[in-house]
Amino acid sequence: MLDLRTPSGYFFAIIGLMVTAMGVFSPESRGRLADVNVNLYAGLFLLAFGAFLLALARRARRRQP
Amino acid sequence: MTLAPVDYAILAVYFAFVLGIGWQLRKKVTTSGDFLLSGRSVPVWITSLAFLAANLGAQELIGMSASGAKYGIMTSHFYWIGAIPAMLFVGVFMMPFYYGSRARSVPEYLKLRFDEKTRTFNAATFAAMTVFSSGISMYALGLLLQLVLGWSFTTSVLASAAIVLAYTFLGGLTSAIYNEVLQFLLIVLGFAPLAIMAVWKAGGWDGMAARIPPVMTHSWAYMGRASDNPMGVEVFGLAMGLGFVLSFGYWCTDFLVVQRAMAAESMSAARRTPLIAAIPKMFIPFIVIVPGIAALALANMSTGYVLPMKNGGPDYDQVLTTLMAQFYPAGMLGVGLTGLMASFMSGMAGNVTAFNTVFTYDLYQSHIRPNAPDKHYLMVGRLTTIGGVALSIGTAYLAQHYNNIMDLLQLVFGFVNAPLFATFVLGMFWKRTTGHGAFTGLVSGTTAAALTHGLTVAEGKGGWLASLHQFPSVMAQNFWIAIFAFTACLLVTVLVSLLTKPRPDAELSGLVYSLTKMPTDEGVAWYLRPAPLAILVAVMLVVLNLMFW
Repeated sequence: MLDLRTPSGYFFAIIGLMVTAMGVFSPESRGRLADVNVNLYAGLFLLAFGAFLLALARRARRRQP
Repeated sequence: MTLAPVDYAILAVYFAFVLGIGWQLRKKVTTSGDFLLSGRSVPVWITSLAFLAANLGAQELIGMSASGAKYGIMTSHFYWIGAIPAMLFVGVFMMPFYYGSRARSVPEYLKLRFDEKTRTFNAATFAAMTVFSSGISMYALGLLLQLVLGWSFTTSVLASAAIVLAYTFLGGLTSAIYNEVLQFLLIVLGFAPLAIMAVWKAGGWDGMAARIPPVMTHSWAYMGRASDNPMGVEVFGLAMGLGFVLSFGYWCTDFLVVQRAMAAESMSAARRTPLIAAIPKMFIPFIVIVPGIAALALANMSTGYVLPMKNGGPDYDQVLTTLMAQFYPAGMLGVGLTGLMASFMSGMAGNVTAFNTVFTYDLYQSHIRPNAPDKHYLMVGRLTTIGGVALSIGTAYLAQHYNNIMDLLQLVFGFVNAPLFATFVLGMFWKRTTGHGAFTGLVSGTTAAALTHGLTVAEGKGGWLASLHQFPSVMAQNFWIAIFAFTACLLVTVLVSLLTKPRPDAELSGLVYSLTKMPTDEGVAWYLRPAPLAILVAVMLVVLNLMFW
């Protein structure tokens, strides 16, 4: 069966990239009450989470050929 | 709130993945079991997250942040005492019968254990309830998008229905489960930053506690008397009504959640599903309730944040969306909004996939056309999916026009649900329980619930027969309705069972505790065994309650 970690890994990596890009190229756009560039930090976290899921899926594939 | 192009792009990426997953899974669907039961082959981490996510709809997100602002941290009782003990019970004690009896649904277990009439009663009310809940989910989504983004109600309802239909039609239950997991992760990652920022801005937990009344930051300290806390509930009503009757009735007997565990790949995985789910479950309050409390603290500070208002009073249901608008820029706003839409849609999909299973196996196969080839039931399951979505759309429009009908339906379903746990617990643990006993017990429990509502008043609700008692809040009234319904069902079932002829022991093997060899798990690592896992979860729960006493 389809390993859910693969599509969800790609999904979080892609939206992570999009959000990080907003944080990098438009750092001044913030919510009125926000003190930090949330797009940058949350975006990087989403990206890292996506990569983590992809790594898990890759490891599982290698173990069972 | 206005969305930037990047927010729409994130939403579009999500839709593409949801449909893509459905498309990928379509090849695996060749029998009705694949479509309606996932072929019992889903890994345990996925069933666990789906077990959790099936209940974490968007109404829940919006409602829980609203309750956080209204009642404070005591709202977390709905996650702690009101869910965890029941999740442990279903995993350790009840799953062996659901999974081991090879019943394909919860109503089918009732058929195997009792008789056809008990099954049909449960199946018919459950089917009606799922269509209704799915329609309400759709209605809430349409309303939210109309209010927050100015989208048209019809467009929102039809577009979301089309996407849900596409992926459940293609991949069946597996598709719904996969998307529930994706939605759950999206909700956590999309709303955790909001919770962190809101609490940070309000001065951390201590800063929040200093700015709002102490009753808002304690979960148990003010539960002694109903008049001491904003919920208007006292500790007995809370523990018995919510913690025992309502929560066990929902988590242990509602096919929508039990179906997720029954899709697991082995008995051991099915039993561990609710236990593993319980661990993230107890921390969800920090993402969904705490932002509401933070909003209340922020409104008491000179940050310029004010609670949203409607008709002269605070409109708590808007707390979450106003926080998003205040803290999130384009980008994360898209992620948060996609999370909200995803949870509305998976709420619909969850109901539709439970509906088509119960309709196909418990109503169609048992009453309309038994003994057809499996291919026929696969087709019926698929058609029922379309029918379920169509009925949900109808319900959404009905809700838009006749709010009173919706309230009434919700009330009636509450009456039907309240006594269910008594029937299951007697059926599973007392072999003397008979089919006639179970059926009359269920009917009496439902009647008792309706009578309690008719004879008591709370905030102007109920009392349509007479007013014998006044409850301090609707919540307290609901808890006590459940307690009376459960007690009536229990007593009547026992009484009628003693007067009617029991089934021979041989027929009940695998269905009743004393006549079933419970699965043993010696020789496996402790974290793969239900009992040690349950103890770990229970200890964590106690610690958490003491921390927020």
